[in-house]
Amino acid sequence: MSNIDPKVLRHRVESINTLPTVPSVLKRLSAVIEKPRITIVEISAFISNDPALTTKVLKMVNSAIYGFPGRIASVSHATMLLGLNVIKGLLLGVSVFELMQKTMSGLYEHSLACAIASRVIAQKKGMKEPEEVSVAGLLHDIGKVILTLEFAKEYEAAMGEAQEKRISIFEAEKNQFNATHADVGSWLAEKWRFPRNLVEVIEFHHRPALAKNAPMEAAIVHMADLLARARGFGFAGENFVPEINPMAFELLKLSDQDIQDVLQEMEDNMESAEDLS
Amino acid sequence: MPKFSVNQLEPGMKLAKPVMAKNGMVMLGEGTELTEIWIERIQDMDIHTVFIDGPTVQTLSMEEALSALDERFALVEDKPYMKNIKKIVKQHIEGLYE
Ligand SMILES: [Fe+2]
Ligand SMILES: [Fe+2]
Repeated sequence: MSNIDPKVLRHRVESINTLPTVPSVLKRLSAVIEKPRITIVEISAFISNDPALTTKVLKMVNSAIYGFPGRIASVSHATMLLGLNVIKGLLLGVSVFELMQKTMSGLYEHSLACAIASRVIAQKKGMKEPEEVSVAGLLHDIGKVILTLEFAKEYEAAMGEAQEKRISIFEAEKNQFNATHADVGSWLAEKWRFPRNLVEVIEFHHRPALAKNAPMEAAIVHMADLLARARGFGFAGENFVPEINPMAFELLKLSDQDIQDVLQEMEDNMESAEDLS
Repeated sequence: MPKFSVNQLEPGMKLAKPVMAKNGMVMLGEGTELTEIWIERIQDMDIHTVFIDGPTVQTLSMEEALSALDERFALVEDKPYMKNIKKIVKQHIEGLYE
């Protein structure tokens, strides 16, 4: 049983820029993206000044995950095309990659598969900015990164409990932390000044019916997460497929053919995904 | 589509994905049929593997993959819509072995 006070937990999560467990690359990035009026030009300069980061970002935007394969040659082009929020999200995505491999092996594959599925569903639903939904898919479980990093022992226990009692990691987290990775992720997204919609998707990706501002986006990532697990891509804490939220499923109105298409796109794109690191 | 080390390439193979430089630029497009020259150029680039047309070899046998699928769905078999979703995923996985 948990003895962690959610207020204390939240405070600790929000101190990410000073936590000793957090690698300096991520701290530096976090300090940049949380700036209140950061411009696209500053972000672009931040990336361009770091050759390794530049390579990672360009690889990612040129991968099939973002739907612009091989067409973006420069960081400035990428930022103009994708916009501030997508670039911020992408930067985080590529920066936590190694961390994910270390703290929960398979979480990055799970996140990538979810990002791909999110983009495909968003396109099928005619969403205006499928890349934004895709980034929400990429970051939906980011709360797990900080939980596994900062509370390694407790998280280990949560995973053990999930496996032993055959419950979801989401439920096991509640027992262990009085909060879940969805809460933690939304606190971080708020701290990093992501738009309300993205915060909401992260917060409610397991309870999409509660998303008031972005019900469609939340339903999409909920479904994408489920399909990534159903197909067995990556690892997200335990190996169970969660049940679909019926309201979200009815909102999405996906045909059987749509679902087949999403699975096929995930399949095709996951093969090259390991090259993105 | 299987992945090949740049040292295992042979003329006549077809690229299943574009060959990209480190900066993400496309150097050779998807569908390009490899020639001796192209293979040499690829080997001169700073990349290790490329994707070639053809079926991917699955790491699990179909039986193993399907029993893992059953295990993944164990808790939600009779929840609304889940039977149908599982059926579609199952067909998809079976399709990987055709
Ligand atoms: Fe989650
Ligand atoms: Fe997830």
